[in-house]
Amino acid sequence: MAVLLPAALLVLWEICSRFAVVPPRYFPPPTTVGWVLVDRVVAGDLGAQSLVTLARLGSAFAIAALPGVLLGLLMGVARPLRDAVEPYIAFIFPVPKITLLPFLLIILGVGEPAFVLTGATSAFFQIVISTLGGVQTMDPRLLARLFWKIILPAALPSIFTGLRLGLGLALVALVAVEFIAAKSGLGHLVYRHWQMLSTPEMYAAFALVGALGLLLTRGLRALQARVLAWQEEVGSL
Amino acid sequence: MRALGRWLTEHWIAVGSPLLLLVAWEWASATGLLREAFFPRPSTIAAHLRQLAADGTLWGHTAMTLIRIGWAFALAAVLGVSVGLAMGLWRQLRDGLDPVFAVIYPIPSVLFLPFVSFLVPPGEIALVVTTAVTSFFLIAFSTTQGVRQIDRLVVEAAVHYGARGWRLFATVLLPGALPLIFTGLRLGLGFALIVVVAVEIVAASRGLGALLWLSWQILKIEDMYATFFVIAFLGALLSYGLAAFRARLLPWVQDVAEP
Repeated sequence: MAVLLPAALLVLWEICSRFAVVPPRYFPPPTTVGWVLVDRVVAGDLGAQSLVTLARLGSAFAIAALPGVLLGLLMGVARPLRDAVEPYIAFIFPVPKITLLPFLLIILGVGEPAFVLTGATSAFFQIVISTLGGVQTMDPRLLARLFWKIILPAALPSIFTGLRLGLGLALVALVAVEFIAAKSGLGHLVYRHWQMLSTPEMYAAFALVGALGLLLTRGLRALQARVLAWQEEVGSL
Repeated sequence: MRALGRWLTEHWIAVGSPLLLLVAWEWASATGLLREAFFPRPSTIAAHLRQLAADGTLWGHTAMTLIRIGWAFALAAVLGVSVGLAMGLWRQLRDGLDPVFAVIYPIPSVLFLPFVSFLVPPGEIALVVTTAVTSFFLIAFSTTQGVRQIDRLVVEAAVHYGARGWRLFATVLLPGALPLIFTGLRLGLGFALIVVVAVEIVAASRGLGALLWLSWQILKIEDMYATFFVIAFLGALLSYGLAAFRARLLPWVQDVAEP
């Protein structure tokens, strides 16, 4: 079934498109998209633009990871700090991070730093919250002495979960930023080919974003299950 | 009064820290330490917020966004719970749809806008359907999980005592899945706000996302901040309000998705 149903859907699409049951201009056959995908990744801009998106993702994650984990740990250990910072986290966390983009564009100007930072904030708050959740479960009387031996190892699964979710969120925010404001990257490709109605290229870029997301989410979850094998269950989302 | 006093002694840092920040911000912008062009004073932002509210601009945009969220959420909830239940009940369907969902789910919703605008009439309907995409997946996943985590023993006992078909579904499976269905709905509603703002930035001329983007484009910085605070307020209302609602509705369960 795991192969059959997706394959059946693709074949159905192929047939509907070939026989113009659905307008092929808007819904090109999957084989055409596949050829364009292969062709453009090797020779054209698709490969290069994927690298642009990946580079942004890497920078955003690098900016968010360490400060996020540190702040989460510190907030877990030091109660006053937690009281002072928690209102801001609670305030910003449910806000769509894309709304920060115009502010960053104004402060930093239109360009890479603003794009990357929007992705980084998206990851940062998730990482802080997950890390904090891991530390919180500790008995406060043990905190001071046992940081390295107990607290950090105990918080490790939550930290990893936070990093994993954070990376996913950063990708979502970055691609959205590219779609809206940037002039490069996979998100921008989808936008540009939509505007030009070059739909095979549009779907190819779209599929690449999906593949990238799948690779990151599933790959990291598998890694987490291996590295932190004692952990009971790795969250399903 | 004494309860308030006790609450304050416990939470004075949590209350004081944002207040202190606002005062510091006001002072820094007033003295020119922060550039007022980028960081207008909180009091100026408040004044703009009042003005936007007074001339009705704000209400129009907010209502537009809320209506879109409402429709998108309804669409995602009905489809998500149905598909999720079906996937939870039938293994074959779950195995078949899992890989399809796994590829589609991580794609940011706003990217679906082109595809959706080919599929349905562009305009309002396309905006709503695009907004519903991510919420649909979250609700479907959560509902499937909800059905699957029901204790087998409970189901077997119910079957043993003669519950079949509709009765089994309505008295055992649905109530058992309810806590996770609710978690899915809560996450879905939160994401509907996130996505609708992005979609409005790209493709709408009304709504809070559009107002934010427009204020940026014509460099009305104060309006930008004011709109941001309204969006943040909506976000807090949706996520914390719904969590409180769940606590009243299903008091016996711990929320699994508590961040």
